Amino acid sequence: MGSFVSDTTTSDILVRLNRRSDPDNLPEMIALQKEFKVFSEKHDLKQSLALLGIVPTDELERKRWYFFLDKLKTYKSDLPNVSGHDRAIKAVQKNLESKAPLPIAVICHLAAEDANVKVSQGRPQVFSSTDHLIISIPTTPRGQPKSRATKAKK
Amino acid sequence: MIAAPETGRAGPGLGDRTLDDQALRDQALGNLTLGSVYSDVEAYYSARVARHGATPRGVDWSCWATQNLRFVQLLKLCDFSGPFALNDMGCGYGALADYLAMRHATAAIDYLGIDLSQAMIRHARLRLSGPDRRFVVAASCPLVADYCVASGVMNVSLGHSREVWEQFVATILRDMRRNSRRGFSVNFKAAAGTTMGAADEPAEGLYRTTPQRWIEFCEAELGCSVETLDDYGMREFTLLVRCN
Repeated sequence: MGSFVSDTTTSDILVRLNRRSDPDNLPEMIALQKEFKVFSEKHDLKQSLALLGIVPTDELERKRWYFFLDKLKTYKSDLPNVSGHDRAIKAVQKNLESKAPLPIAVICHLAAEDANVKVSQGRPQVFSSTDHLIISIPTTPRGQPKSRATKAKK
Repeated sequence: MIAAPETGRAGPGLGDRTLDDQALRDQALGNLTLGSVYSDVEAYYSARVARHGATPRGVDWSCWATQNLRFVQLLKLCDFSGPFALNDMGCGYGALADYLAMRHATAAIDYLGIDLSQAMIRHARLRLSGPDRRFVVAASCPLVADYCVASGVMNVSLGHSREVWEQFVATILRDMRRNSRRGFSVNFKAAAGTTMGAADEPAEGLYRTTPQRWIEFCEAELGCSVETLDDYGMREFTLLVRCN
């Protein structure tokens, strides 16, 4: 996000992503996972989110979005030897297939502060009334130097 | 206006399921009282597919995954252990035929997609036409099949009154009953206040109802037995209607 995708697209995608697995819509996501294994090692994030229709409508932004999702494969995560991309998929899959799935929230943090994709549980917003699975993506604002997240592979 | 019926192509392996011009015209004319509804539906979906192409958005679904989850429910009616004929009412650009190819590739299914929208049928034929995959522009089923299914056909009421829309729904269900040897299945948006319905979802332009409303119709008027599926995570329900 950030330097890869426009601010507007990032906001739009995050809202749509989080809406799909908020407390109201979580049963649908659980059913989709059960039937189609939307999140699994068989699909990359690009495919999974396309199946859910979570893609920018603008063609150029869509390309940038897909580029960003592919780029996540080069990000590190809070687990050793697991890329940010795979960490996100496995966390969502494990949660949706658990006995008590949590709503899912995707948020961003500054890559300059922590270059890893991080997964935790808690309340993503001050107004949140329930615990969520929180996936936090390291982000560099457009125009600022790339962080260690994208330099890590060099 | 009712879209002029087209003649489908009878291919090999279709048995006695051949399309007849006159039957198509007669059935379409029988629905003239609902002419403005059919006309509006045709125009609406033709505009959708013109804008979004042969994609879930082109038939007003949010995504591939939810569209296919609906097909999973509708097809629970069908016995895949042997060959069968299937009518797909309101087939759109043929997403159910795609799904059958993906999930039931080895099943022997004589599939007929039916839609009011010429534009939809054009997309479907371009993508999918084959010996056992046919598509026709019509307002009703032109052939009897083992099963008829309709996904999302009853949802977008396009400003018509509830009374008129329910007349439209009843007409479709009667037609599906008449043209189903074993049974038919259909889905509806759940009314607010039901276990599946969202309390805060805007209902404008959408027809929402309770299972009971149409279970009673299918049992009392159509003489069928009905099974309700309402636990697949969506704010809707599917009726599996078996002909007795």
